[in-house]
Formats: sequence, structure tokens, C-alpha cells
Amino acid sequence: MKKVEKLFNRVLQRVNINLREIEFDANPWVAGVIPIDQFGKFYAFYGISSRHPLDLSFAHSSVAGSYFLGKCRVNNSILYKTDIRGDELKSKGDAIKYQDFEIVVNADEMIRIEDSFLIKNLVHNCSHDPENLEEFNIQNTCSMHYANIHGSPTEGCFLGPFSTIDLTSMQDSVIGSYSYIQAGEVLHMNINPGTIWVHADGDFNFLYEYPQEILEHYVSVTPGQAVSGIFMDFIEARKADFQRVFDVVNLELPFSIPNGASLDRFAVIKPKITLNENVLVSQRAYLENSWLGKGANAQENCYIINSKLMGNNVTAHGAKIINADMGTHVFVGFNSFLNGKPGHRLNVGSDCIVMPHTIIDLEEPVAIPDGHLVWGHISRMKDLETQTYPISKFAEIKDGLILGRLLFEGDGKAFVDGFKARIHHILEANGAFYDGSKNHGHAQNNQNISINTIQPYSDGELEGLYPTIRITP
Amino acid sequence: MKTYKVKDLMVPLSEYAMVPKDASLYDAVLALEKAQEDFDHTRYRHRAILIADESGNVIGKMSQLDVLRALEPKYGELQDRHGLARFGFTKKFMKSMLNHYHLWDGALEDICKKAANAPVSQYMYTPSEGEYVDEEAGLDEAIHQLVLGHHQSLLVTQSGSITGVLRLTDVFAAIFHSMKACFIE
Repeated sequence: MKKVEKLFNRVLQRVNINLREIEFDANPWVAGVIPIDQFGKFYAFYGISSRHPLDLSFAHSSVAGSYFLGKCRVNNSILYKTDIRGDELKSKGDAIKYQDFEIVVNADEMIRIEDSFLIKNLVHNCSHDPENLEEFNIQNTCSMHYANIHGSPTEGCFLGPFSTIDLTSMQDSVIGSYSYIQAGEVLHMNINPGTIWVHADGDFNFLYEYPQEILEHYVSVTPGQAVSGIFMDFIEARKADFQRVFDVVNLELPFSIPNGASLDRFAVIKPKITLNENVLVSQRAYLENSWLGKGANAQENCYIINSKLMGNNVTAHGAKIINADMGTHVFVGFNSFLNGKPGHRLNVGSDCIVMPHTIIDLEEPVAIPDGHLVWGHISRMKDLETQTYPISKFAEIKDGLILGRLLFEGDGKAFVDGFKARIHHILEANGAFYDGSKNHGHAQNNQNISINTIQPYSDGELEGLYPTIRITP
Repeated sequence: MKTYKVKDLMVPLSEYAMVPKDASLYDAVLALEKAQEDFDHTRYRHRAILIADESGNVIGKMSQLDVLRALEPKYGELQDRHGLARFGFTKKFMKSMLNHYHLWDGALEDICKKAANAPVSQYMYTPSEGEYVDEEAGLDEAIHQLVLGHHQSLLVTQSGSITGVLRLTDVFAAIFHSMKACFIE
């Protein structure tokens, strides 16, 4: 057995030991679906720029096809085609507010990945664990295809495909496929596939669960078999388009990039695309025949096809927008799937919040009015009755709301204000408000990133592993 | 302390309530009542019903909770088996669901009709891998499975065939008697 296989088995053992209490065995979920033979075939790459800190180290690890930016330490881990974006880590001296405390960060924060396996994941933001502000830890964790680990330290966890753990510390837990969890802290829980849970203790509690028979069409996991369903079919059908951007060293820009905008060289651009000022297009984003208005962004693993985004749109990690017309200031959450059809387009009004992990897959034209909260599974206009709600009315909720499969308890205003503040912060961080001299964000900071590559052993006992490397300025 | 094996404490399949998968809820409850009458009255009464396929193989289980849930089908549209409490909703909010979803609205008055029409196969629970134990296994192994899985019983197997049911209550009784014996001696 090669060392990379031993490493893989060791990671699984550690995950299983952590999850023994909830009687979860990761082996059947990864057996036969992990491309160990591919680990030696892809280079890894990292970005350097004068605007980003740099401290990367890799030891006894395989990082094939993965991208790194900022400060990250990877030990005894396997990262496959995973993006580690350390451009929102905390800096030494930052003051972090938590409840009644204000805690000063005593060193620049670093992402630390130990004894873990991440496949096609996105890791972003900074640790939201108030007990450990200087390290964003991912330890003894197995995270499957297209999961997002966003500001969420994890230890001893299994994340199913297309799941997201957001601003939450998680320990010894299983997150089912396509579940989105933002709950502050999750300990020893086994969460069903398709659970959308946003919980702020004492303020509000939002819970929606997909009917399993519907979810299975979109993402289905059978032990020992590859992840299947509409989501994977959609991605696989466009996989070849990414081949060229990763194979060619110097790509020419397909058009001139407007002032304040940035287009990552690892994004796929297919005719005909218009980008306006302050637009951010991240690596592994896929744009085809679309128009992106001022300050709009397309984050990692996003697909925007045959669509028009009017401006200041947030299309969060992994979200897909197809055959849609989106108003201004529309937020589309993580891994949402907005699938209009050529014959019946989707229209989303301005200032709408499409909750993370929402599925809109149309059977008829659907128009969502301005200023609505959107969640669940929508295919017809009739579905809007139980899966949308005016944001202004939602903010008036004092005790709770039960609508269709949605259960909401608590203060609607706190929920709405929290989301609005976060959307504003995302736009700000992404540079949507750049005025030519002030309000720099990722769109401006990412314009001059240089990319370097590192290579694994290509044969022998160490095939697929990378040599121990430390990269500093 | 006496060393028990699973087969020492299990209830043989023949003494358990079992109905075919096309039986109604009413048939299942009758079978449970009969099994309770026929069973050793000094022991704890049966609470679950086994569901069998055409060949008599056990394919599912129905607990008392499953029967109650079957009488109000709207529970099936709501949430998973693990319940809402773990997500941090308050008791007051969960009570409000009773009115909102009109849960039990007429369900109890309509109980006869529902019991006659509802097929057990629709409401039965399919045991997971961790709910099977070999009859030669030791009590420690069985307790481990019961504790980790929060199960009320395990299906006992011999060479792949189900031969009985190991109930939590019988395991507890055996442990309890052993504890008492320690102090008597």
C-alpha cells in the first residue's frame, strides 16, 4: 500500500473514532468514490500578492488540484481540488466582539488543517470560535464533494456532499448532504440530509427540512457509489470547460476588465459575458452568456448562465443561477440552485434574500416580487405561497411563523437585520463599493495575484504526496 | 455475576407479535394484544410488532409511538424521526404547532376508520444495521448496541435468520437482578 493510501485510512480512522458515539462509520460513504489514483496527477497552486499575508506549509500531505491564499498549515491531510481562501483571516491586534466581551487577537490567524480529508471543498472566512481566535482548525474531519466550511472550525466531523457549515464551531457531528447549518455551536449531532437550520440562541430559530423524496433527485448518496443526482450531472456536464483554464499557463483575458473589477484566471468564461465595475469573479466560477452589473460577485464554484444580474448581487459559494433575471441587491446563498428554463425564465425582484441551499427548478415561469425571503423547493408560482415571505413582514414576527415546512421561532427583526448586515459586509469585503480610491475589497485586491504551482511525487511509494514545504515572503 | 449470552435473554420469534406487511393497523394492534395475553405474565409486556414479508422474513418493526404517529399522518409531513426538541425550539412553540397543523383535529374521533385502512407497511420502521445482534453474542456487545443506538430492542439472528428479539427491558432486568445478588451475597 502506498503512503497516500495509508494516510487516507489513518484520516478515516480518526474521523470514525470521533464519531463512535453517534455510531457513524465514514468508510461506506467514501469507499470506492475517492480518486486516490488522481492524487499524483494534479499540481497544487497558491497565490501571492502584496495585499495578502503569506505563510503556507505542507507536511506529509496530498494537496492535488488545491488552491491556497494567505496563511495555512496542512499536516497529515488530503485536500483534493479544494480552495483554501485565507483572505479574511483576523490580524494581530483586531478586537473581536463576542457577547459582552471584546477580545484582542494576539497573532495573525492561520488556517490549520490536520488529519483531515477534504474533496472539492471551499474553506473561507475566519474562525468564529471565540475560544480560539488565532487558529481556524479543521481536524479529524472528512468533508465530501462541494461542501463549504465557512468560518467554522471542525473537529471529528463528517460533512456530506453539498453541505455547508457556516459561522459555527462543530465537534463530533455528521452533517447530511445538502444541509446548511449556521448555529453557533454544534456538538454530537447527526443532522439529516436537506436540513436548513439557522439558530441564534435566544434570538431566533429557522428550520426547514427538504422532503427526502424531492432531495434525492438533486443529490443522492448510496454507500460505495459515486454521488449522483441533478447537481452532480450539472457539474459533470461542464467539467471539460475547466480543463483548459487549468492546463494553460498564460491565458489571455477574453475582454478588457472594467475599473475595480477582477476576473480570476481560473474562472471559466464563455461568450458572451459583460462585467461591470467592481465585479468579483472568483476561481472555479463559471460564467456563460451573462451580464453582471456593478458590484455583483460570483464566488467559488458558482455557475451563472444565460442570466442578468442588475448589480450588487451576492452569489455565494457554490450557488448556480441559470436562465434568470435578478434585480439589484439580491443575495443568493451557498449552494442554491436557481434553474430557470429557456421557455420559462426565473425573475427575482430586487432586495430579495434567497436562503442558502434553496432549490428553484422551474416547470413554469416564476416571478418573485421585490423584497422577499425565499427558501425551500420552488417549481411553480403556487409554491411561492409557502416558500417566500415579504422581508418587511418577516421583520414584524415576534413569536414565530409556521409556513409549509418552515418553522421559525423568535424575533423576525433580529433574523432579517442579521442577514442584511451580513450581505452588506460581503459586498463591502468583495469591493462592491470601491469608488476609485476608497473601499478596497477582494475585487480590487485580487487584480494582481501571481500564481505559483507545486508538484507531488509522480511515482514510487510517495506518489501523490507532496514534499514538506514552507512558503513565506 | 452470571455471564449471559443474547440467546439467554431473548424472546423467541414465535412469542412475538408479527403481522404480514399488507396487514392494517388494526390487525397489528390485535396481534400485539394476543401476544401480550399469551406471553409469560410475570414478564414485561410486549410493546412492538414485527412486520414480515411474503416469505415470513422480518422486514420492519412498529413501536407504540409508530402506531400513534400513524393515526395522525400529518406527522409524516413534518419532521424526521429524531424530533424537533434537539433543534432548540421551545415547548410553547411546539405546542403552537398542534393548532397550526390541526394535529389530531378529528383524528381521535376517526380512529376506527384510520385503524382499518392504514397499512402497517406505510408506517413501519426498517431496522438499521446496528439493530441486529447474533444470538451467540455476549451481553456486553448487546448493551453497547442498545446504548449507542438508543434502541428499545434488537433483532436477534442466527446464521442470518432472525430468531428472536432482545428487549431493553429484559437486559435491564438481568442486570438489575445481578446487582441485587451482589448485595445479598
